[in-house]
Amino acid sequence: MTEANPVVLVVDDEVQIRRFLRAGLELDGFSVQDAETGADALRWATLKPPDLVILDLGLPDMDGSEVLERLRAWSSVPLIVLSVRSNEAEKVRLLESGADDYVVKPFGMAELLARAHAAMRRHVRVSTGEPVVKVGPLAIDLAARIVTINGARVMLTPKEYRLLQLLAQHAGNVVTHQFLLKEVWGSPHLHDTHYLRIFVRKLRQKIEVDPTQPRILLTELGVGYRLVVPEAASQVAAAN
Amino acid sequence: MVGMDAVRRELRGSAIALVMVAVTTVVVYALTQSLEVRRGSVIYLLPVLLAGWHLGLIPALVAAVAGVLWSGYFFFSPYYSFYLARPNEILNLVLFMVVAGVTSHLANSMKMQTEIARKREKEMGDLYAFSRRLAAASSAADIYLAIEQHLASLVQRKVVLFGTGSGGDRDAKPDQGALSQRVHSAIAEVQAGRTLATTVDDGAGDIWLVRRVSQKNTDFGVIAIDLGSVRPSDIDEVRKRVDDVLSDAAATLERLDVARALNDAKMRSETELLREALIGSVSHELRTPLASILGAATVLSKSAVIAKDERLTSLAGVVRDEADRLNNDIQNLLDATRISRAQIRPRQEWIEPQDIVNSALERRRRRLSAHTLSLDVDSNLPFIYVDPVLVEQAFGQIVDNAAKYSPPGSPITVAAKRNGRDVVLSVHDEGVGLTAQENAQLGERFFRGARHAATTSGSGLGLWIAKAFVTANGGKIEAASAGADQGTTVSIHLPFATPASQPEVGPDD
Repeated sequence: MTEANPVVLVVDDEVQIRRFLRAGLELDGFSVQDAETGADALRWATLKPPDLVILDLGLPDMDGSEVLERLRAWSSVPLIVLSVRSNEAEKVRLLESGADDYVVKPFGMAELLARAHAAMRRHVRVSTGEPVVKVGPLAIDLAARIVTINGARVMLTPKEYRLLQLLAQHAGNVVTHQFLLKEVWGSPHLHDTHYLRIFVRKLRQKIEVDPTQPRILLTELGVGYRLVVPEAASQVAAAN
Repeated sequence: MVGMDAVRRELRGSAIALVMVAVTTVVVYALTQSLEVRRGSVIYLLPVLLAGWHLGLIPALVAAVAGVLWSGYFFFSPYYSFYLARPNEILNLVLFMVVAGVTSHLANSMKMQTEIARKREKEMGDLYAFSRRLAAASSAADIYLAIEQHLASLVQRKVVLFGTGSGGDRDAKPDQGALSQRVHSAIAEVQAGRTLATTVDDGAGDIWLVRRVSQKNTDFGVIAIDLGSVRPSDIDEVRKRVDDVLSDAAATLERLDVARALNDAKMRSETELLREALIGSVSHELRTPLASILGAATVLSKSAVIAKDERLTSLAGVVRDEADRLNNDIQNLLDATRISRAQIRPRQEWIEPQDIVNSALERRRRRLSAHTLSLDVDSNLPFIYVDPVLVEQAFGQIVDNAAKYSPPGSPITVAAKRNGRDVVLSVHDEGVGLTAQENAQLGERFFRGARHAATTSGSGLGLWIAKAFVTANGGKIEAASAGADQGTTVSIHLPFATPASQPEVGPDD
């Protein structure tokens, strides 16, 4: 393991989960640091600032969401939460308080890696100011405000563009309904999810090959939307 | 007291009867003057009948005597005198007296018969309703509530019933908070067995009778009855009436074997709680290792050594698929527990129906890979207002069933269509199908047809859960099949509505 490898901090109290995560992440070229407790995690995060954090919510000493909040007070490190199923409200809360994405237990390694890489890419994009986000055939030039599919210009209304821009900035990661509604329509419309449904339907008609079977702009039920790189998506599906 | 009341009632009735006779006289007089009717005396039977029916026997007799006197006075010669000239007229009046007496007696007894019959019918109706409620009651609390309402309707007063022993859920009843401290301590006295029955003033002017429902059987609990503002001298009288009603009611409870129903219900709810706690903890304990198994299998299948050997990658795939299936079964157990504890609270939002379909299919891509999947989704479906996660789970369950009960390679058709006021999500397979009898039993908890059990393993929970989730969202599930081995179509029907507000779309949007 060389110093050039990105460092991932794995926070989970279950030894068997840590074991397979370590193996999978190391195979993918990460250098892994384990933490069993929330206190441990916060200590390691300061001692050896990681490039990625994978955080389980059920920790013996403190709630995972507390670790998230305390970490976010000073660090913008990409962070993926390991969540349990059937609690969409909790997922949304974690995303609002700064998690980049989540995977639901049990999960496959490919799914976790896809989420993690997307979060890390976004981090790099923000710090380097790279203007163009490529999502398969779709290219979104955030500086010139131009959207193309396979080089051909796509005409979007201002709100459609704003919606796509927000999703593109988080390409590969989920973006919550509340965030999109607040950014596009403003706080009074936080619960008008049907506004989103209408504009997403219009957007899909412009950017998807078959709008009834979207491959780029995917719905995360009860949580939000995710812009997916189609090749990466099919790789994930194949590996899963 | 009661005697005085009765005398007063009879006097009032007699007064009314006299008024009716007077009115009759005026009418008869008018008739004899205008129409030359000579024999108006038979009309005097009318007030007698009315008095007999509505006022009782004595007012009826008063009406009869008054009728004889008035008609003698006005309508028999010599007129305007009680003296009767001809003997046959005397006979007439005697006959009238007899007929009036018999009529009033008949009217009165018929009325009493009718009242008794009506009362008996009501009692039978109440009792029937009560026994039906008992049969339907699923918990001790339900049974106590039924007894309470039954007794309240019998004694016609406010009644509060306290169960015995572990009736913890009864203490949460809101209207018990309204009982005064004195009534509560009287109840405690009786519950502790220090006294069988007692009366207590609640401090607000009402007297409460507190006693066991049955003096023999403690299972029926303790009852507090609001006797109202009764004078101390009358308490014994009122109490005796209530006691009589209650001892009849207690006998009924004995006859209906309510005690055993109560014990059964208590036992059942404890067993149910224990079973669900067990399922909950076992499921949780199983899920953590499952996450390790599944995760480890996906890491293994990617490692260079295994990836180049097809036999090994397929083994890693088996580990993953089976862990996945197990996880599904555990999820079903947890969902079933949530449903039977009534913990399903839909978080409804506007959603594109196709998103639910796509999400369910995406999640099952591996499980569906052995089938030919075709999609038939309308492009402009109306939005539906549902909990998308619950509906996706329900729809996914139906897709799983289609894949499970149809042979590999056979087609599965998934459709999302508008049908009247519903959006219909359906899954059609060409598998084992359903007989009419199987279709009728479909969706019962733990139901699995013998032919289905032979096809593949399963818990029989899936469709039951799907049904509960869809129902919670105001929809329904239907299954159709031409018969055994004819394939099955299962559909979810969800009503749609139009969002109350639409985004304003201007030229700038």
